[in-house]
Amino acid sequence: MAPERMDYYALLGVLRDASQEDIKHAYYEAAQRLHPDKNQTAGETELFLEVQRAYEVLYNPKRRAQYDATLPKEETPLLFIKDKVEYSRPNLVHLDEPQLIYVLLEMSPRNVDEKIPAPPLNLCLVLDRSTSMQGEKMDIVKAAASQLMRTMRSQDIFSVVSFSDRAEVIIPAAFQADRTKLQGRIQMIQTGGATEIYQGLEAGMQEIRRNLHSQRVSHLILLTDGQTYGDEQACLQLAEEAGRQKIGISGLGIGNDWNDIFLDALTSRTGNNSAYISNPQDIKKLLMDKFNSITNTLAEDMLLEFKLNEGIDLNYAFRLQPEGGPVALESPMHLGPILQDTPLTVIFEFVVQPSAAKSNQANLLDGSLKMAIAARPTPAPPLRIRFEQSVSDTPGDVPPPLSIVRALSRLTLYRMQEKAREEAQAGHYESATRHLKNLAQHLLAQGEKDLAKTALLEANHLERMQSLSENGGKEIKYGTRALLLSAAEVSK
Amino acid sequence: MIVCTNCKHINMDGAMFCSECGAQLTGSDILTTQNMSIDSIEESAKQASSSPKPTPAVALNTWITLHLMDTGQMLPVSDRSEFTLGRISEGQPIMPDIDLSPYQAYANGVSRLHAVVKQTASRIWIMDLGSANGTYINGKRLNPNIEHTLNNGDIIALGKLKIQVLLKTS
Repeated sequence: MAPERMDYYALLGVLRDASQEDIKHAYYEAAQRLHPDKNQTAGETELFLEVQRAYEVLYNPKRRAQYDATLPKEETPLLFIKDKVEYSRPNLVHLDEPQLIYVLLEMSPRNVDEKIPAPPLNLCLVLDRSTSMQGEKMDIVKAAASQLMRTMRSQDIFSVVSFSDRAEVIIPAAFQADRTKLQGRIQMIQTGGATEIYQGLEAGMQEIRRNLHSQRVSHLILLTDGQTYGDEQACLQLAEEAGRQKIGISGLGIGNDWNDIFLDALTSRTGNNSAYISNPQDIKKLLMDKFNSITNTLAEDMLLEFKLNEGIDLNYAFRLQPEGGPVALESPMHLGPILQDTPLTVIFEFVVQPSAAKSNQANLLDGSLKMAIAARPTPAPPLRIRFEQSVSDTPGDVPPPLSIVRALSRLTLYRMQEKAREEAQAGHYESATRHLKNLAQHLLAQGEKDLAKTALLEANHLERMQSLSENGGKEIKYGTRALLLSAAEVSK
Repeated sequence: MIVCTNCKHINMDGAMFCSECGAQLTGSDILTTQNMSIDSIEESAKQASSSPKPTPAVALNTWITLHLMDTGQMLPVSDRSEFTLGRISEGQPIMPDIDLSPYQAYANGVSRLHAVVKQTASRIWIMDLGSANGTYINGKRLNPNIEHTLNNGDIIALGKLKIQVLLKTS
């Protein structure tokens, strides 16, 4: 095998036309991460030296020019991934009022037939063992954790942490050989105490950090059934750190009492999502689904660094696939992973202000997409992302692409429930009820009878009690979210 | 701008679905709708709404009324001179006399057995029962297991759940 040449730009994770300032910034960031005083995993010191060499060449304009001359003219296409961008309208219009445009970004494996070996995992299960988990729930969680452990392959690193108002490491992170013994340890977990998610997250992150490695997919799965008090901010900070270190965090919420908005905020900081388990019997299935999608990872959390142009607002972003979930809007955006068999699809809603629609071309977003392909030892170069659309005097008569219509028809429903819940929270019961009723109507029209019924019952509950029932609110939220996923699959 | 034909809501140009009622504004008719009977759904909704509203029974010997400040509901208390406040959840050995779970007790951090209120000959007092998130009178946190006198109009907070105490002035 010919030695793969190190691409200096890819090493630093910058585009070919990056400014000196960008290069310096990228270098500082990489150096902080990889410095021999801090790095723990094998090979990082070598990588650090390479990064240093890349910086020395690129930061010196003369040497950079010499180096650039040796590069092939065009930016080489990405090896494993292809991207596709669709717009809801063929062109924007010169208008003196704001207008909307939707953009659908899809990143998919370049060659579906070519099987890339599944990367080894570094997985930590963080289990809530507070008093409320007592009984059936805990028994099922234990059984599910044991089953998951049996499914692990010999190259996977696995750990288990349990927590209530403090955390215990049940199984420290390592290659696990004696699984029968470990199963016994899981069985020994006792319920009791309050729920403090920070404690569990902290301990789980520590276990994962022992084995951080760029060719290992690191992931933490949090299973909880309760709300945490007072430590939300600390949890979110921890998740942000996890996002920087490429540690994924997923949440599985059991029953009605956990805080879905918090868990979404937490997991979206690493490009992942939360799932709702209404019936404890489903714990096993959802946990295995989660595990399968993690083993299937082609590229971990795709990071979109971007800047919006003058007069452009990014209103909303939502990941339709592989796992539906809201995407936080600040740069860098954690878009989520690409799986070997499922593309990453994200839909964006932009508001174009009149000032941006004056010329013949509107530039919506400029950015670069950074990725880490688990199966590849060398860093992949970032991909330039540019959303732009021409502006003319009349609206084009080309109908919007089917994929966008489908996605939006479902996203509209999801956003209606979001709106209704916000309004109910703020005490605007009348409009919340109205929105729920509208939602029920549309669900019915789309053939979602059960969900429509739930929405209607919830509207009634709201009128009577002036609050949403805990389970109804979650059922509608995760129900409409599941619809989005099916919409994305149909359009394939 | 686009005016929704269904609900007259004004949407921004380029919108494809009405942000108010969810009706499709533009584009193709690729989305098919299905006809189905909504009788069954309305039926079950009716059943649900016919269950009685939690209307408090008005009794003459009410000595204290709890005014839930977030929702504006009033809970008059009579019959007994001592009651515990908390929320009922599964598998709990001791039940509180007044269950606050319909008023977002969980989200506000009310413990299962949070506090006790008692009427004596000379005064009315409240005592925190060692709750996780504390009991407050007018913003001041109480030491647990110590009686604190309540006055008419005091605002107590169980965790974050605010309740105004209205005493019958005699």
